[in-house]
Amino acid sequence: MTATPASAVAGLETVTTDQVTAARATWSAFRRNPLGVASLGILAVLVLVGVCAPLIADSPSGYGEQVLQAPSGAHWFGTDNLGRDIFAEVLWGARLSIVIAALSSALAILIGVLVAVLGAYFPKTDMVIGTVVDLCLSLPVLPLMILVAALAGPSLVTVVLVIAFFSWPEVTRVVRSQALSVVRLPYMDAARLTGGSHVWIIRKHLLPAVAPVIVVSVVLTASRAVLSAAGLAFLGLGDPNSWSWGRILYEAEQSGAMSSAWWTTLFPSLAMLALVVSATLISIAYNDARNPRTRED
Amino acid sequence: MPQVLRFVVRRVGRALLTLWFAATVTFLLLRLLPGDPALAVASPNMTPEARHTLLQQYGLDESLLAQYGKYLWQLLHGNLGISFSQQVPVTTVLMERLPWTLLLTVSSLLVTVAVGIPLGVLAATRPRGFLDRLVQVGGVVGQSLFVPSVGIFLLFMLGLQLHWLPIGGAYSPGVYGFAWYGDVLQHLVLPCFSLVLVQLGSYVLTLRSTLIESLGEDYCVLAQAKGLPNRKVVWKHALRNALLPTTTLVGLQLGFLVGGAVLTETVFAYPGIGRGIYEAVTRLDFPVLQGAFVLLAATVVLANVLTDLAYGLLDPRVRTT
Repeated sequence: MTATPASAVAGLETVTTDQVTAARATWSAFRRNPLGVASLGILAVLVLVGVCAPLIADSPSGYGEQVLQAPSGAHWFGTDNLGRDIFAEVLWGARLSIVIAALSSALAILIGVLVAVLGAYFPKTDMVIGTVVDLCLSLPVLPLMILVAALAGPSLVTVVLVIAFFSWPEVTRVVRSQALSVVRLPYMDAARLTGGSHVWIIRKHLLPAVAPVIVVSVVLTASRAVLSAAGLAFLGLGDPNSWSWGRILYEAEQSGAMSSAWWTTLFPSLAMLALVVSATLISIAYNDARNPRTRED
Repeated sequence: MPQVLRFVVRRVGRALLTLWFAATVTFLLLRLLPGDPALAVASPNMTPEARHTLLQQYGLDESLLAQYGKYLWQLLHGNLGISFSQQVPVTTVLMERLPWTLLLTVSSLLVTVAVGIPLGVLAATRPRGFLDRLVQVGGVVGQSLFVPSVGIFLLFMLGLQLHWLPIGGAYSPGVYGFAWYGDVLQHLVLPCFSLVLVQLGSYVLTLRSTLIESLGEDYCVLAQAKGLPNRKVVWKHALRNALLPTTTLVGLQLGFLVGGAVLTETVFAYPGIGRGIYEAVTRLDFPVLQGAFVLLAATVVLANVLTDLAYGLLDPRVRTT
């Protein structure tokens, strides 16, 4: 039932052809990892909070009279230098962070996987792709992102495109190394011998084999995108019309509030940490769960 | 050609290729982005004549290919353009700042290695023990930290609340002589420590896993079997080989480190290139932004070549790959 062509080759991930069984086994192993489940819970809460932000709090726009108030019953996370509620800012920031992370990582994954799979499948292009990816990865990305974002003008679209455009090489690196080892397996030769088209072989045989790596990369790229977006916003290159965690820190820094009011920077920082740590732990737990060797069943 | 020479030529060649790639990417980005490419070299506030001369000097009225040739030619001569906001060559602006960024990044790397090696060894020699768990959790959290958050936290606690350390800048005015060095060191502590906290996690995690791997290899088992004390097996045999991939990883992550330095310098008003980038962003000083990227890329590439070459000379196996 579960023919595993990869298990014959030492050091390779097991490719289970019966995907339903494999997914169920992974999920049941994942469920037994308390850290993984807790992280999934935290991530779910953050996403829910982001989606429901408009229902929980009004968009923090007006200027209040209570300036730089410490956290209290009325303002859970305190207020900033213009009297805006930081709890509302953090909620709306979650919304934007999640949107940016989702969009830019989706785009980066799309480009990255496409390039990686094409490179692995057509060996002639692989030399060039491998070199370009190595070159991209050795450059300091943030200064480049800053340059482009400053030139294009800060907006949501700019931020998403800039992050996606400079994140795909990392995806390609990870997916490519897995794809390269899969392409050499006998079952790929068998697929070619049946006379199927390249598209069919890539879609039906190559992509499913690298899918687990893609899942991990989605999570990691998204969490790194949150940090990159915050970095850009912290330098004043975020979308000036919507709230992000980076922008809260940027305004606290600009107004000097960060040196007197710890709550202006602590809460957005904690939200960011919770999001990125839980995403990282989920990817680790998923990796352990899908690998039969580390799975404790 | 002797093997060593071939190795050196290949590494230097790859470095030059990377530099060319960085310069070309910058050029293409500036020309292909929607918007006026002239913005990147000429300020809209200039007089029409000054603007025209500058555009001509950069050849922005010529074909793309001719522009590209000129751009590379200027770059080879270290000409990165004129800063809008300060009316001086970008090279002058950046070269004043480069030493501070180097001081910050190099010192943070040294501290990371000095703290990371003992931590990694402790975790790897007692896998699944209490300290190992702590290192793993700390590693994941450390990797997930947002650099400015760490900087602001340290600045608030150690600088503003406890008054242990200065909160910004790289030195105090009016301090000279030997005291100046102490003053610089004091100003370095907080930004350096912020970067260390962010980097340490991935360093220790990598060292831990490679060290566990080498401890399981035959030569380590043999060293244990012949009765060497455990300390010697770990430090003399396993660690030496585990450090190789770990240090390669540090080289590969230099780009990220530079990004972290940009944000850290912004928090601490540290007068390095990163703070320069921040100031250039607020003034939309594009030549400085472009020059900063090219210069930082060149620094990273140079650092990578130097470590690669040092390696090749120390470890004969590297030369053949």
